[in-house]
Amino acid sequence: MKDKLEKILNDFKDGLSSLTQQPQILKYKSEALGKNGQLSQILKSLKDLSNEERKAIGPLANQIKEQMNQLVTSKLKEIEVSEINKKLEQNKIDITDRLSNRSNVLCHGGLHPTNIIQREIEDIFLSMGFEVLDGPHIEDDYHNFEALNIPADHPARDMQDTFWFQTEDGIRKFLLRTHTSTIQVRGMKERKPPFRFIAPGKVFRCERTDASHEMVFHQLEGMMVGEDISIGHLIYFMKTVLKEIFKKDVEVRLRPGFFPFVEPGFELDIRCLICSGKGCSVCKQTGWVELLPCGMVHPRVLEAGGIDPEKYNGYAFGLGLDRLVMMRYGIDDIRHLHSADLRFISQFKDY
Amino acid sequence: MLVSIDWIKEFVNINDTDSKALAEKFTLATAEVEGVILSGQHLTNMCVAEVIAIDKHPEADKLNLVTFKCFDNETRKVVCGASNVRVGLKTPFAPIGTVLPGGFELTPKKIRGVLSEGMLCSEEELGLKDSSEGIMELPQDASTGMNLAEYFQQTPDVILDIDNKSLTHRPDLWGHYGMAREFSAIYQEPLKNPFDEQWEKKWESQCNDLPSPVKVRFEGESAGLGYFGLTVEGITVGESPDWMRKRLESVGLRPINSIVDISNYVMLELGHPNHIFDRDMIKGDEVVIKTLDKNIEFQTLDEESRQLVSGDTVITDKSDVLVLAGIMGGLNSGVSSSTKSIFIEVANWKAADIRKTSSRLGLRTDSSQRFEKTLDSMQMKKTLLRILELVSELNPNAKVVGISQYDGEPLVDEELILSITPEKINSVLGVELETKEIIRILNSLDFKTELKEDSLSITVPSYRKTKDIECGDDIIEEVGRIVGYDNIPQKSPKLDVRPVRLNPAKVLHRKIQDFMSFHSTAYEVMTYPLIGQKLCAKSSWPLDNKLGLINALSKDHSIMRDSLVPSLLEAMAVNSKNFHNGRFFELGRRYLSDKKEFRKEVSTLGIVFFDKDKNVFNSLADNVDGLLRSLNITFQFSGKHPKFKNEAISEDWVGLHPHEFLNIQIMGKMKGVIFSVHPMVLKSFKIKGNVSIALIDIGHFENNLVKSKMKYRPLPKFPNSKFDLTVLASADTGLGDVLKAASKAKLKELENIEVFDVFTESDGKKAVTLRATFADPDRTLPPEVLNKAQELLISTLNKSGFILK
Repeated sequence: MKDKLEKILNDFKDGLSSLTQQPQILKYKSEALGKNGQLSQILKSLKDLSNEERKAIGPLANQIKEQMNQLVTSKLKEIEVSEINKKLEQNKIDITDRLSNRSNVLCHGGLHPTNIIQREIEDIFLSMGFEVLDGPHIEDDYHNFEALNIPADHPARDMQDTFWFQTEDGIRKFLLRTHTSTIQVRGMKERKPPFRFIAPGKVFRCERTDASHEMVFHQLEGMMVGEDISIGHLIYFMKTVLKEIFKKDVEVRLRPGFFPFVEPGFELDIRCLICSGKGCSVCKQTGWVELLPCGMVHPRVLEAGGIDPEKYNGYAFGLGLDRLVMMRYGIDDIRHLHSADLRFISQFKDY
Repeated sequence: MLVSIDWIKEFVNINDTDSKALAEKFTLATAEVEGVILSGQHLTNMCVAEVIAIDKHPEADKLNLVTFKCFDNETRKVVCGASNVRVGLKTPFAPIGTVLPGGFELTPKKIRGVLSEGMLCSEEELGLKDSSEGIMELPQDASTGMNLAEYFQQTPDVILDIDNKSLTHRPDLWGHYGMAREFSAIYQEPLKNPFDEQWEKKWESQCNDLPSPVKVRFEGESAGLGYFGLTVEGITVGESPDWMRKRLESVGLRPINSIVDISNYVMLELGHPNHIFDRDMIKGDEVVIKTLDKNIEFQTLDEESRQLVSGDTVITDKSDVLVLAGIMGGLNSGVSSSTKSIFIEVANWKAADIRKTSSRLGLRTDSSQRFEKTLDSMQMKKTLLRILELVSELNPNAKVVGISQYDGEPLVDEELILSITPEKINSVLGVELETKEIIRILNSLDFKTELKEDSLSITVPSYRKTKDIECGDDIIEEVGRIVGYDNIPQKSPKLDVRPVRLNPAKVLHRKIQDFMSFHSTAYEVMTYPLIGQKLCAKSSWPLDNKLGLINALSKDHSIMRDSLVPSLLEAMAVNSKNFHNGRFFELGRRYLSDKKEFRKEVSTLGIVFFDKDKNVFNSLADNVDGLLRSLNITFQFSGKHPKFKNEAISEDWVGLHPHEFLNIQIMGKMKGVIFSVHPMVLKSFKIKGNVSIALIDIGHFENNLVKSKMKYRPLPKFPNSKFDLTVLASADTGLGDVLKAASKAKLKELENIEVFDVFTESDGKKAVTLRATFADPDRTLPPEVLNKAQELLISTLNKSGFILK
């Protein structure tokens, strides 16, 4: 009897393996396990067996029945999967088709390179407790010159080629700011020391444009005012900031520079990052690159900002943003920055 | 400005032989050295050679092996290609290691297999001529082996090229003597003073009782501060001596004749420009300093005719203008080879007036450049006497006639005494200098000091106080730069604890940039805030902006833009050539004239979507919709309003598409617009396809901190119920209008209604399927309520003409 059962199972397996269609399988199953199937016959005949035989054969027969059911279920699942896969095969997509590979600029977007750098620098200053201010592009003579200790006949006005506006009475009063230093007095008047802020933005010079000169460009003004601030602090501070900007240690040096709104005034040079100071074409063989003007705020400028120069002092500095942008990305022509040419701009995609 | 170190050494000992270090020291302490020119250094290496034999080069037809005697009768051989080489020729020889003026260094080199021991040089190679043929031929009496520097009687010199801009505030540094004072302080070497009181007395005593042939007179207000004049007879004009010519040449001045050269020499030495007339060309017995009362034409020394205007200060004789004050002399009164007696002018002028006239004429001379810096009147007399000294030296028969004539402000040196404590100096510099060191530094710069209790009382020399030194802080710089900023210890400032955040406008700008870049896949661009009429005409843009420049660089950038539109169209034209489609935006400003404030600057966002084939209006509107939602701004899109005009753009502009136009009402005001550009305007830019632009006046709300209205509501406890209905509408009905009609059904159970689907029907109609969601937070809606709600919705739509299909 036991052998018979095993044969039934083996025969069932053999029969099943040749079948491939769902209806055939279901029919085959109902035949094998139905009332007239061999297994049913055996189960029916159990009652004729001895008690002992029944105890041995009964569970075995049920076990085989269960096994047969499972074989069918898994066979059916196998067929279903292969059918789905066949369909999936038909709807196959090209998984190497990336939008980024298509000739379609709509896949990307990005910030203007000047704003990428500006934001980076704003965040550095923000992390050091500096506010970020903004001011008007069209300024008056007072904020651009007068308040910065540059009176009407001062030679410093020679150094800045200013765009002036037509006025009804013909007097030159309004101009396009020539530097972001205009924000110094505006910023001071709204604050009480100690304070520190930066002001990035557009500035304008009446200058013929070429690959390295623009009539519209970007500066970042910075100012820190408090008690007992020294040049030693200024050097330390600039070094720290520049280390963050250039992401490596930078050697700096100060040398005298003349700007009417600071006293003493400096040009800050950094050790050439290209040749590490050995001398190359970028640093004109000197090993140093002129980076930014800075200095201790002139007492008259503090006064113009409503601050007592006897009690407080501070420093100010100006950073040319476009030059940093050009250095960072190796841009050869400053005129690209205002060109709005997507062939240029799309090189700075965010993603 | 070029500075000769050889000249400087006349006044101060400098033992630094490293020219680079010298330049760096000066840069760090005083002013920027832009270049170091070594002059004549190569000559000290070279000598006179005498050719003794010439053999053909074994490998090259055109080259010779030249044997010659040089130095101490040594015999050397070089390869030489010059055609004028011959036995017995004397010529300059440069051995290996010589650096020629062009920067070329001679290194041991084989030429076609033969080692050459240096080079026989041409005049061009020695920098004596711009071009020359063959090697230089020295006269036969040149002594073989003689050092070439000796032969040419030239001392090697280091010339520093100093950035004029870094001398703007230092009128005292425009002559070698002033520069020497800086070197004296930097190197701590005493400054020689050849121009002391004794010297002054000696030359003053040349004056005599004779009547002065030319008197000096100021007439009315002018640029003049003071004017010295002195007549000298017995002049023979000729060539200046070699030493003077070489000095002038070394700093870039062309020698002219012995009198003009003296004038220039003294200017370069003492920094004070001056002028020497041919006495006989001055008509009458006086010169008058006055301003012109009418415009005239004037021939300057450079033989150019200049247009002088009323108000320019001039020096005249009884009939003519002789000199344009402080800038340039006239052709008619200059010194010539036949000049027998001279009139020396040493004057001082108001800086601003000189600058004004010189920049008007576009004529910047060595003289005007100096007077613009505000020179010290106290230097006039010394300058006059120094000229007299040199004139006497070069003209043994020279004789002063009368005494020096002076008119102008009284020459009183008003003392400027500043007071500052050493403590303050140390505190601002961040150093701890002893008071005696501070005093030493100040004294080396000619400041007189007196220590009164804790404070230093400092007398500023006259030549430093015209513009440069005014207050105590200026003294700090003097000490700091000589100490050397490199010697200041760096330390962190002590700072207070204070939270800092970006201001609302900055936060908003960043959000917009990020949204546009990451969500809208647009690129940020920048365009010029200045535009021109040409661009406006091309855009048919009615620019009516009073914000025009007086001194624009070009007509294309002469007026402030009152809108981003023309700039964006121009950018569009550039990109249309290279791209099929694209998106870009600018966060810039537009500038409006304002009666009270003169100008109003408005932060504006301009967005451009373009596509050669597809319409981009709706996708632009969707992006703007998303952007404004992300900014938590209250806004609404609407069609053209009959009464309220859009403030972001003029609705009369012909560049607007007749149909694709949406007002954006932001916080109740029409501060934004989305439109497509009219094909006629696109045509004038040769742009093909579709261009849509959105403009939003960010300035309207950028300074308000917008709070997020985001709020959590508990998830519904009871199920909602969805109801789909399809209504018919004419094909040109906006989906927005259908939804608007539906929302008129005032139903508190109506939670939401959206467009589910749209079909185009054949009869010029479309079928719009809406999906309404009904819900009540407190219960499951019973069928009768639902039915009522559905009916109300249908009838409301019906009332607006949308009939249930």
